Amino acid sequence: MNGSKWKSIGVALLLASTPLSGAIAAQDVLVLARAEDPPTADPGVEISNSGYTLIYAAYERLVAYKGASTEVGPELAESWTADDAGLVWTFKIANGHKFDDGSPVDAAAVKFSFDRLMKLKAGPSDAFPVLKEVEVVDPQTVRFHLTAPFAPFISTLAVSGAAIINPKVMAHEKDGDMAKAWLAEHSAGSGPYRIASWERNQSIVLDSNEHYAGAKPALKQVVIRIVGDVSARRLQLTNGDADIIEQIPLDQAEALQKDASVVVESNPSMYVNYIYMNNRQPPLDDPKVRQAISYAVDYQGIIDGIMLGQAKQMRGAVPSGMWGHDPQGFQYTYDIEKAKALLAESGKSNIHLTYTFSQADPAWEPVGLALQASLAEIGIKLDLQSVADTTKRELAANGKFDLAPGAWTPDFADPYMFMNYWFDADKMGGPGNRSFYSNSKVTDLVREAGSIVDEAKRKTLYVEAQKLSTEDAPYLYIMEKNDIFARRAAVKGYVYNPMLIQVYNFGTMSKTE
Amino acid sequence: MAITRIIFPRLILLLFVVLGVAIITFTISHLIPGDPARMIAGDRASAETLENVRRNLGLDRPVVEQFTIYIGNLLQGDLGTSLRTNRPVAADIRTFLPATLELGTVALFIALCLGVPLGVLSAVYKDGPIDQIARTVSVCGISMPVFWFGLILIYVFYAHFQILPGSGRLAMGIVPPERITGFLLIDTLLQGRFDAFCSAVYHLILPGFVLAFANMGVITRQIRASMLDVLQEDYIRTARASGLRKGVIIFNYALRNALIPSITLLGLALGDLLYGAVLTETIFAWPGMGTYVVTSIQTLDFPAIMGFTIVASIGYVLINLLVDLAYMLADPQIREV
Repeated sequence: MNGSKWKSIGVALLLASTPLSGAIAAQDVLVLARAEDPPTADPGVEISNSGYTLIYAAYERLVAYKGASTEVGPELAESWTADDAGLVWTFKIANGHKFDDGSPVDAAAVKFSFDRLMKLKAGPSDAFPVLKEVEVVDPQTVRFHLTAPFAPFISTLAVSGAAIINPKVMAHEKDGDMAKAWLAEHSAGSGPYRIASWERNQSIVLDSNEHYAGAKPALKQVVIRIVGDVSARRLQLTNGDADIIEQIPLDQAEALQKDASVVVESNPSMYVNYIYMNNRQPPLDDPKVRQAISYAVDYQGIIDGIMLGQAKQMRGAVPSGMWGHDPQGFQYTYDIEKAKALLAESGKSNIHLTYTFSQADPAWEPVGLALQASLAEIGIKLDLQSVADTTKRELAANGKFDLAPGAWTPDFADPYMFMNYWFDADKMGGPGNRSFYSNSKVTDLVREAGSIVDEAKRKTLYVEAQKLSTEDAPYLYIMEKNDIFARRAAVKGYVYNPMLIQVYNFGTMSKTE
Repeated sequence: MAITRIIFPRLILLLFVVLGVAIITFTISHLIPGDPARMIAGDRASAETLENVRRNLGLDRPVVEQFTIYIGNLLQGDLGTSLRTNRPVAADIRTFLPATLELGTVALFIALCLGVPLGVLSAVYKDGPIDQIARTVSVCGISMPVFWFGLILIYVFYAHFQILPGSGRLAMGIVPPERITGFLLIDTLLQGRFDAFCSAVYHLILPGFVLAFANMGVITRQIRASMLDVLQEDYIRTARASGLRKGVIIFNYALRNALIPSITLLGLALGDLLYGAVLTETIFAWPGMGTYVVTSIQTLDFPAIMGFTIVASIGYVLINLLVDLAYMLADPQIREV
């Protein structure tokens, strides 16, 4: 190799290194760094929030949450009516919505999407337990027939699984998979973006959809980069290579708050941490013992010490951001004397329990340790048992535990997500009633509330059910956690919606700078 | 002749190894309490949905039947479909394995380029300042945790001086080359994409060095020890007495013989590099097998776990075979036997 060739290599190397210093992405490109690759982007299959990030950006639904609120308003549907029994719902589809290939969003597409969802019958279909049939009335009108009245129906239409998919996607079907393999990493929706490329475990590029019916997004491109290590994510944010980073431990969030170019978003969420007490397992089958334990938890200590204040104590099952929450509801406090008295009343002594947890939530282990210490004060010995998360889920679902921590977020914006799942005696185990709690009065109340449409009446029923169940203390209500992520101050227009964790309104966000 | 005598039995052995690994992995992953259907359909899925997901995945069938189906497909080269990503496992492995192999190979190259000379120098100038430095460096390499060392390098070269990239395989603005082998260094050159090649090289420097560093320490120590042994030998003394130049003695006589025990070490090091890649990949956001396997294990993605284990065991057997062949090349005595 001669000298000039070496020189040209040197120049090329220099050129290749320049994107580094100019790494700050263009003003119309937003870079989001997160720990893990979304499993899929298929609305009919995906149940993780990291997948929702893509699905909400690439698809529209009949209805959408209004801004920051948990109420739903029109998106693809411009209006809708229901019959008196709440069994037949008719939607008028707005004109002008187009999929990313330019074909119009019509009633047939709505029917296709729901037929596909129900045929796949994977996780997301569970939000539609009473859907009988979707009928095309005319190209702009679609009718849903339900087998039984289902109060939260309209809010379930705003979930990820209710995304409307372009029926032409069936051209990609393989071996009767309803295009599952293709939709796992492509999109076929009418949302502001489309998935342009997906390098597994590396990056996903969303390009703006030129056929999108809404206002043209300021961000032409959104890049999601997979950066497993939290310190590396943090350095990318402070260096300007990333505009948003997710999954930041609390101590790092505190440190980032001191950086003026960074904004730490910490918002109250409906992500609750609670502990299942196995109501079928002696001595926890005695409400007095469960109440005693409920009084022995140092709630504020956990929130201040473990969560660094980024949480608040639960009050009843329905979190404070959801309608149906009872702000006057009863709340257990840290009261060792009361706990001891209740335990004495129960006549139980020498109690030895196990707390079965996994590392899926970083708070579970320290909460277990705190619990161990405070239960020791009332003479209950608590062993901590750490298992793999899949094992923990299996043990919890089958009732093979004494105490086990859990985390819960609502799929749709209705107290049904908490009350009917947690307390209905028919939903014991995996589906939601993980404390195996059985109180026929509570079951009747939540079932009635789940089947009528009158919201005021429903609220009264749910408040009553919360009162009764809190007395029985089937769960330890620990805390509502804040949702935390960090963004560069230059990122504008983000709207937090507690129903949309890890989902961003990219279409209406922008970057200054 | 001797070479075929070695290779043939090994290839037959390979079949049994794969079958054995398949049986063990299948049994273990099915013994772990946990339901992949629950991971896929969600924790709170209704009983019917769980049942449906199990049926679709064939998880409702007896374990023996599941295993027979799996082996049948395996013999046809079908590793199954990942439960989590809905993609064929073979496609997932084709995506991630080259990234890991590329990083591992580069790291091995760096480790050898630095480790061997350092070991030789250290032995030749035993107890001198060079030896002290080399020994300190190799102890650091062996004992420094990868995640810590990696972060320090990222902090210094990426965050502070901003001269090297800290994550990924290519710079943001660079369009990845069309996938031929999956090895960026090769694909970029095949397509004449010099910009992408340089970017790939830049992105390999930090993770490659971090991964190399620990193995470099091991190599340095091994070379040093065997060099010291060899330098005591009679034939070296004879060579010295005959007035041969020092360089000739060290490289032609001593090093060649000192390298033989190191070949085994190289085989181990290559295995180590692939395994050590898990942490390095996490820190440098390197889209390789490490991250894929860890996530698959966490979500009980049986086909993905099985696929990886089988590919890895084939890899180990082949590496061992290569080590034996390399022995034969390096040591005529083995060739004769």
